Amino acid sequence: MDARTPPPPAETVVINGVRFNARPGTRPVTVDGADTIVGLFRQRCAALGARTAHREKDLGIWKSWSWDDYWTHARWIGMGLRKLGLKRGEVVSILSEDRKEWAWFDLGIQSVGGIASGVYTTDSASQLAYLVNDSDSRFLIVENEEQLDKFLIAEDEMPGLAGVIILDDEGLHDLDHPKCLFLEDLYEIGRKADADEPDAFEAEIDKARPEDVALLIYTSGTTGMPKGAMLTHENIMAAIEAGAHGLPAFETDEQLCFLPLCHILERDVSIYFPLAAKCTVNFAESPETVFANMQEVSPHTFTAVPRVWEKIFSRVTILNQEATPLGRWAFGRALRAGQARAEHLLRGEPVPAGVAARWWLWDRLVLRNLRRMLGMDRMRRGGTGAAPISPELLKWYWSIGVPLVEGYGMTETAGIATINTPEDNRIGTIGRPVAGVDVRIAPNGEIQVRGLNIFKGYWRSNEKTAETFTEDGWLKTGDVGRMDEDGYVTITGRIKDIIITAGGKNITPAEIESRLKFSHYISDAVIIGDGRKYLTALIMIDQENVEKFAQDRKVPFSNFASLCAAKEVRDLIAAEVAAVNREFARVEQIKDFRLIDVLLTAEDEELTATMKLKRNLVEKKHKHLIDEMY
Amino acid sequence: MSDALLKVRNIESFYGPIMAIRGVSLDVHEGQIVSILGANGAGKTTLMKTISGVMDPEKGQIVFDGREIQGQEPHRVVQAGIVHVPEGREVFPLLTVDENLTLGAYTDIDRTRINRHRELVFDYFPVLGERRNQEAGTLSGGQQQMLAIGRGLMGNPRIMLLDEPSLGLSPILVQEIFGILKRLNAEQGVTMMLVEQNASAALELADHGYVMEVGRIVMDGPADELMQSEDIRNFYLGVQEAGVRESRRWKRKKTWR
Repeated sequence: MDARTPPPPAETVVINGVRFNARPGTRPVTVDGADTIVGLFRQRCAALGARTAHREKDLGIWKSWSWDDYWTHARWIGMGLRKLGLKRGEVVSILSEDRKEWAWFDLGIQSVGGIASGVYTTDSASQLAYLVNDSDSRFLIVENEEQLDKFLIAEDEMPGLAGVIILDDEGLHDLDHPKCLFLEDLYEIGRKADADEPDAFEAEIDKARPEDVALLIYTSGTTGMPKGAMLTHENIMAAIEAGAHGLPAFETDEQLCFLPLCHILERDVSIYFPLAAKCTVNFAESPETVFANMQEVSPHTFTAVPRVWEKIFSRVTILNQEATPLGRWAFGRALRAGQARAEHLLRGEPVPAGVAARWWLWDRLVLRNLRRMLGMDRMRRGGTGAAPISPELLKWYWSIGVPLVEGYGMTETAGIATINTPEDNRIGTIGRPVAGVDVRIAPNGEIQVRGLNIFKGYWRSNEKTAETFTEDGWLKTGDVGRMDEDGYVTITGRIKDIIITAGGKNITPAEIESRLKFSHYISDAVIIGDGRKYLTALIMIDQENVEKFAQDRKVPFSNFASLCAAKEVRDLIAAEVAAVNREFARVEQIKDFRLIDVLLTAEDEELTATMKLKRNLVEKKHKHLIDEMY
Repeated sequence: MSDALLKVRNIESFYGPIMAIRGVSLDVHEGQIVSILGANGAGKTTLMKTISGVMDPEKGQIVFDGREIQGQEPHRVVQAGIVHVPEGREVFPLLTVDENLTLGAYTDIDRTRINRHRELVFDYFPVLGERRNQEAGTLSGGQQQMLAIGRGLMGNPRIMLLDEPSLGLSPILVQEIFGILKRLNAEQGVTMMLVEQNASAALELADHGYVMEVGRIVMDGPADELMQSEDIRNFYLGVQEAGVRESRRWKRKKTWR
């Protein structure tokens, strides 16, 4: 045989019009032949040209931006930053709410070999300074004057910054600062640099290697200072590959982007996955207008955190309670018809004709309208992750005809590790490992993951990186759980959070906490008891639902503190706690609880960006409440 | 503290399908001045109208001096001792000052008491005495406001609901009227509930304050404490936080703590 015949083409498979390796999880990970994010980006922009990539509201009207726009602006951004001195392997921090420029910058920075790192807009000036310094950022992108002020406050602490680029110049026309420049100025520099070296941009793209770090994501860290997780091109390509196998997307799909893009979940779903699937991403105007934007966009797929799904459920429940008796009756019947159908669907069985007919009728009469009102009439699949969700809530969504599935992932797994899918779903579990990824349960119960999506390590911290991996190279997720014989994984808690009571009992608080959270009246809870004689809880109530409860029961209250102080509210929560207690063993009983009577916002350091309570900060800040209980 | 003179409990009021008040509870104690602050459309006036019986609440109780009065006809509420001085004064322009005052005593039949109240009004608002035979429509805005308050006093109220007494008045007049209100409270023991946009004037006058936003109370406390609150200072008293730049336009988010 001729030794010089080229190697046979790697076997490939086409999923919804996109070509992937036939065997997921093998190197090189390619999507339509590209093995880096920026390579795929170039290919898509060239092929899709004038088709819409993004939509954003401008003065109340949805406007479109094409893949051409995506390409040109990313090119100017990349060339501009390069001209200003950005070198390959250097970091650029982005401090902005979601908007099209976020995506343009992400790809523009990566195209010239930079590393994009997102900063939450709710972070304070000192947190910003920490992130900029820790990542050794060369440039900082700020959205507007509010975010710019954070830089100005902490400017002296960030000497390494070469420049700050401001996206929105409103109110800043008289700004005169040697390090600041406006987006238009950067475009201009980029345009000139591009004219001078027309081949440079694509040459930079060609230099990217799958093993290069493409983005840095700081983990919110419920403990300690945030750490920067390095994700490579290959990590993201592997996540895209895994997503494509389990979560089908089509080029006609519309999506809504509203969770922070600094978080791996939204970044995957709204920037990287659409690069492969070619779908259109609509940016919500603001976190407050998500529900209205959802009605307008009516997305085909929608991924959110449990809090958002809970909010939508609460809204419907409240609307229903205030409807006419006929309306309530009809909704009740429709929901029961939906439940009957959902039970069959969730067991994976065919729906009997009688049940299907009943569903058809009530769907026509009630549920279809409800879905249209919620902006879910086209929704093929809802996704939830980043925190545990109540099984009842999942079933409710199935009952109204929205297939909602839970998945699991973390920054260190490029956002995806296990998923349920509408076809292959076991409620209460986080699903099965995604294509190309292996999951095992260690002897101590820890969930461990291996795959090409697993991150390269923590930025400049070999020590922390080493701690995160087992000797044989599996990622230690820090979550404890179990896997059933069909491969579905269930999470029971966090290893670090294990409480050892004074009596020597090991308790995983997350299990109790998530049971508490499933109550509509409790938005989050922290179990206390390490080294103590018994367990107690600090509870954050769900403002909207508890206010509604108080209003219906004629419980007077004026502000949030007096709401928390009302006896009826305490009794209500006590009943919820008692209900949870019944499900747990004697040593795991919550003996006492206190309500956190300040309304926490995303700016408060006790909350993570996804509005979860941070255990150690909560314990520190509300020590007086804890002391009262012991 | 003793039981409140006026207790509002979980009131909900609607304009057709629109819920203007979404569950408000508050207390006014005898002899106190309570201020309700809030932006346009927060539901302050609706709350006043609901208390005085012009509007009926969908839900909730209003307890005045131990008796539930929600949903009663306005004249019964006046007889019970609650007088509403409406927004925009609403004096009868073609009647004289005297006649306007007489109308304020509509629920009273005791002539000597009416005359005593009239003297009291002239005592506090001498300018009304000087112009007692003049048509009310010819008075200045400040004088009309005084007349509206005076007309309210004629009903011998146990509590006066004052809806934006500072509306459209010059700062000096606001000071004058608020000074008189303070004296009425101190000397005559008139309990007052005051709705205001002019937050600094209202808080200086009041013992206790409530802040309303979109139909709910978001914050309450003693007036001097409210004046120290960062949110109140930023959003109601117009105190600009010292920023890093001079021309700062953005405002921090409200937390109501």
